[in-house]
Amino acid sequence: MKTLFAWLLWLWISLVIVGAFYYAPQAEGFQDGSDRILFFHVPMAWASFAGFIAAAVWSVRYLMTRDLRHDRSAHVAIQLGLLFGVLATISGAIWARIEWGAYWNWDPRQTSILISLLFYGAYLALRGAVEDPEKRARLAASYAILGLVVTPFLYWIMPRLTFSLHPEPVVNAEGKPKMQSEILQVLLASGVGFTALFFWLHSVHTRIQALAERKSAEME
Amino acid sequence: MLRATSTSDARPLSPASAWAAEVAAVFVKDWRCEFRTRYALNTLALFAFTTLVVVSISLGPIGIDRARGSKVLPVLLWVILLFSVAAGLPRAFVQEEESQTATALRLSATPSALFCGKLLYCLTLVGALELLVTPVFVTLMSLKVESPGLLAVTLAAGGYGLAVGSTLVAAIIAQARTKGTLFSVLAFPILLPLLLLAVELTFSAVGGGGGSGGVALPQLLLYDASITVAGLMLFPVVWNP
Repeated sequence: MKTLFAWLLWLWISLVIVGAFYYAPQAEGFQDGSDRILFFHVPMAWASFAGFIAAAVWSVRYLMTRDLRHDRSAHVAIQLGLLFGVLATISGAIWARIEWGAYWNWDPRQTSILISLLFYGAYLALRGAVEDPEKRARLAASYAILGLVVTPFLYWIMPRLTFSLHPEPVVNAEGKPKMQSEILQVLLASGVGFTALFFWLHSVHTRIQALAERKSAEME
Repeated sequence: MLRATSTSDARPLSPASAWAAEVAAVFVKDWRCEFRTRYALNTLALFAFTTLVVVSISLGPIGIDRARGSKVLPVLLWVILLFSVAAGLPRAFVQEEESQTATALRLSATPSALFCGKLLYCLTLVGALELLVTPVFVTLMSLKVESPGLLAVTLAAGGYGLAVGSTLVAAIIAQARTKGTLFSVLAFPILLPLLLLAVELTFSAVGGGGGSGGVALPQLLLYDASITVAGLMLFPVVWNP
């Protein structure tokens, strides 16, 4: 079943790549070809945000049950959230260089994603600074939930505070995506694909980590 | 002993009064300890003073012209406040772990009372820091404040958010190994949205803002409310093993 899911995911992402380059038309207002980056940049930012939410949910579940498996899931979600966040930042910077003429210009959305990357890094630093697994899980879960409280300010409030050159998100203030339907189809398919990729990687990585922990416990 | 008792001993205090007495006892205990060592006061004051002098010297004897000053100086003010807070506030919980009084404190005060007592202590420290730094900063930099009321509200709301966020993060790092550096690493992503909102409001107060002051103030108050609720809910988990 897991192998079938992996093959279906591979097929889906392959179709998204083909759709991004051959099915979706050139987006209006973008320099020729630069809009193709967004079919991968936007879903990676979504997946990074999903990591944030998933980590907070698993942290709440850990605090309710004190089951270390939930802590492991939260930890892996943050690691993957950081990976997807870095990829979204790099791909966004490349796009910004083409469209705006500079890799980095402190656009509110760039600031938001940078702060969320700092948060992911801080979560991992906290885990590295506590040896006892129970205490580490308790403190890390508290910090992840605290991060979730700050998230709305990073993703929704701050970007609307000052002028931004960033294109309007798919979920905009008017609730209507302003893009051609073919572009929207590929973008949503890519979003589904990358979110599924995130959770597939999460499942693989969690199992690897569980095996590593079991092995180190056996050696002790 | 922090557990509150009535003065007559015959009448027990109501739960709310007992809780308030516990908060007051933690607050008084912290200030008593602080006056014995003066660690946080000295650190905060000296750090703030040193950075103020460095900023002032760097800008030179002529200073900075008004147009640029209203854009740059609010940022510098909040950077000074943030780093001063990072230098002194973690002590609130770190000293309990280092002097091995944390267990006694766990036994003698309820987590919510302890959090509020420590928060009050941090709030008074931040308030004192702002009262010390802001007038000197405004004078040294010749910063013309168009709206002193807005600046005062921003300092109050921003200082409150700094104190709440720092109190909770201090409780977390007190139980970790690398306490000093970890505070900055953990606190900054949590406090940066507050800092950006406070800087935006300070821009408006000194007349250099882009008119977003009216939007930023409710957001700053919302941030304060959110982090307070989160602090009250998470502190018992952080504090109790």
